Amino acid sequence: MSALVAFKASELTLGQSAVVEFVVSEADMLAFATLSGDHNPLHTDDDFARSKGFLGRVVYGGLLAAKVSQLIGMRLPGRDSVWTALSLDFRKPLYIGESARVEGTVEAISESGGIVRLKLSLRAAEKLLAKGKAEVVIGQ
Amino acid sequence: MDTSAYYDKLTKVFHHVFDDDSIVVTPELTAKDVDEWDSLGHMRLIMAVEETFRTKFSAAEVGRLKNVGEFVALIESKAAG
Repeated sequence: MSALVAFKASELTLGQSAVVEFVVSEADMLAFATLSGDHNPLHTDDDFARSKGFLGRVVYGGLLAAKVSQLIGMRLPGRDSVWTALSLDFRKPLYIGESARVEGTVEAISESGGIVRLKLSLRAAEKLLAKGKAEVVIGQ
Repeated sequence: MDTSAYYDKLTKVFHHVFDDDSIVVTPELTAKDVDEWDSLGHMRLIMAVEETFRTKFSAAEVGRLKNVGEFVALIESKAAG
């Protein structure tokens, strides 16, 4: 488990970034299927996924969003924050067992408002999986 | 930039932040007059104004504001300053 940090808005700088690296396992996929109730065969059946042109079962987009949650809640800004908006634009599929990373970069800060905006990118090696933005409120 | 130009620019910010093109931004406008202008809406508004007018406010400056007229005066004072 990654260490928990707690940045205030005044302690952040534009361009500051943090990364969470991860590999989605079979167990993660099963757990997410149960949690979400999404048993779409694109995520549960390799043959079906291949019939749709993918290399195998596709990792749930919601599971990638869960890694964004870890990034925001644990690393940037961390403990005293809550995300109030999220957008993700998915580009390429992630497959089970692939090494991936989500990076958040501080794009805008309002100290007086206690709110920041992060630019997000999710990659597997050089493959761009998704990009997006998160709006995060930081408690005083 | 004259005061009316500030209002024109601020109107676009209000329409974007509160997703409501019917908002008429006047000096007397307050949070009570805009449905979405709650505490989160206020945070979003402040950040959007800071980005649009390329300025920064302190929490004390923002906390003193009673209406949009005072907000515009604050923005103008930053631009002049």
